[in-house]
Amino acid sequence: MTSVAERPAGRTASGLSARARAISELTGRDRAVRAVLFVAALVPTAALAFLVYEMIKQAYPAIIFNGWSFFTTKKFTMGNLYGNVVVKHGYQAAQGADFGVLPLLFGTLVSSLIALVLAVPVAVGGAILLVEKVPARLQGALGVFLELLAGIPSIVFGLWGIYTFGPLLSRTVYRWIAALGIPWLSGSTGAGEGLLTASVVLAVMIIPIVASIARELVRSVPAVSKEGAVALGLTPTETIRFVTIPYVRTGLIAAAVLGWARALGETIAVLVISGDALNIYPHSIFDPFSTMAATIAAFLDSALTDSTGMAIHALAEVGLVLLAVTFLTNLGGRLLARRFSDAGLPVGRGV
Amino acid sequence: MPEPSTQVSYSRPVPEAGGAAQAAPEVVDAVFDIADLNFWYGANRALRDVSLRIGRQEITALIGPSGCGKTTFLRCLNRMNDLLPDTRIEGRLDFDGEPLYRPGVQAIEIRRRIGMVFQKPNPFPKSIYDNVAIAPKVNGMKVNLDDLVEESLSRAALWNEVKDKLKQSAFSLSGGQQQRLCIARTIAVKPEVILMDEPCSALDPLATIRIEELMTELKSDYTIVIVTHNMQQAARVSDRTAFFTVEDHPEGRSGVLVESGPTHKIFTAPSDQRTDDYITGRFG
Repeated sequence: MTSVAERPAGRTASGLSARARAISELTGRDRAVRAVLFVAALVPTAALAFLVYEMIKQAYPAIIFNGWSFFTTKKFTMGNLYGNVVVKHGYQAAQGADFGVLPLLFGTLVSSLIALVLAVPVAVGGAILLVEKVPARLQGALGVFLELLAGIPSIVFGLWGIYTFGPLLSRTVYRWIAALGIPWLSGSTGAGEGLLTASVVLAVMIIPIVASIARELVRSVPAVSKEGAVALGLTPTETIRFVTIPYVRTGLIAAAVLGWARALGETIAVLVISGDALNIYPHSIFDPFSTMAATIAAFLDSALTDSTGMAIHALAEVGLVLLAVTFLTNLGGRLLARRFSDAGLPVGRGV
Repeated sequence: MPEPSTQVSYSRPVPEAGGAAQAAPEVVDAVFDIADLNFWYGANRALRDVSLRIGRQEITALIGPSGCGKTTFLRCLNRMNDLLPDTRIEGRLDFDGEPLYRPGVQAIEIRRRIGMVFQKPNPFPKSIYDNVAIAPKVNGMKVNLDDLVEESLSRAALWNEVKDKLKQSAFSLSGGQQQRLCIARTIAVKPEVILMDEPCSALDPLATIRIEELMTELKSDYTIVIVTHNMQQAARVSDRTAFFTVEDHPEGRSGVLVESGPTHKIFTAPSDQRTDDYITGRFG
């Protein structure tokens, strides 16, 4: 339906030739297509607006009940769901209920950032290696593996992380790291659950996303630009550093943001691996922790039994914070990408 | 400047011989000495028995119809074809008396001595300054980079236009400026030879004239080999011209060198009918 897209909008037909006029006139079919496209374009916007509205509506009692302490309280507890009811700011909640998003916000940001730091170099390095060094036939096969990795359900990643990968890491790599005695990177390495394992598994989950975008970006670097570096006597490594990476930098930021958003929102894998610690900050990178998404999933069942309804409202408030964080990272990524694209690069302005 | 032969036919481009003296009939001091050079892309023999001597501090133009192998030949001279898979080269190709393709010769080292300017301007996605400074820096040249950047840009006749915006992206420049930046970048690593692959084909006539003037100036220090489709350009700037063409052989089409010699001779009294046909526009 390119004819719809290509037509100059809002142009009068009077100055055009008969043929141009005939082309510029909408047939009934064109109008129908245009209407369908308009609705299709509106659906995501409407869905987002409705979602935000519902989230705010659901979270509103908790926002009033918690006040600012939601961002200062270092635990998240629903209280005694079978005990007395307390009233604060006109809203009821179970006795002992104390809702704080801070440990969850911390867990979400730290786990996703560690995952990003681990995943981006591997994904970008892998993509460059794949495009520049691997013969074309093998490239296709490895690309398929990458896509398969992206298609694995996250619960499988979670189980693999908690039963196989995590224990293996904690017996080997974690011990070596802990032996270095760096604050926050030492102490008991546990059985394999916890912050670092969750971050590593998240990294494995976002590598295919970042790598497949990075692969397309690296492929789009014009051969003549790379030849310019080669002709100056630059080594392949220097060519990657001075031509390939600067060319794809903007796009890579967008790819990383996409991967980060995935890590921020990942629920079930993190829930399985996190060790689900809600009331404590992790004291080391090996400690149990929790994220906002995992907490919502873990608590939803019992929150529904809260007769005051406040537990559900509080979970909605957590969800609202998660939504805000995702928006902000997206926005930040866009600003960063725009800043870098000021160099006027011909390609790689974004994905 | 001695006028070229007066017996020039109407359609023949008039060579200006580039400088005060016309090129000697034979190359005396050869930078490249090439004999019976053959090159294959897979099973396709792209160059067949090419023999050519390229004179020091001369401008040699490679002309000929599309597909005649002139660019392939040019890219043999700095081993750019090494990057392509499934290629093969045979024959003699001596650079400064040393075989260029002898095992043990570092292609990367060679490319620092034999620079190349491409058909399309291809600056790095970096600042104007970095475009010139990167290669000398990573090559470990012991020089003041600021001075080198100024010197190189001045030699490429670009300094006055960019001296106040060295930190700006190279992509902010016009096509002609970008091409001069690429020449500056090439000069900065102090090569002995500059290879140019249709350096003006993407430029407008004014930018083309600037590049041509630049080539004439650079000749005093560098050996230049230029591939061009523009016969007026070959006639204007080069000292020597080599005419390539395509021949059909049982096993496929191959590029061959028809003849080479001083530009005024090739353009006024070629010894091969095919050269005359091409130059006068009856073929190609």
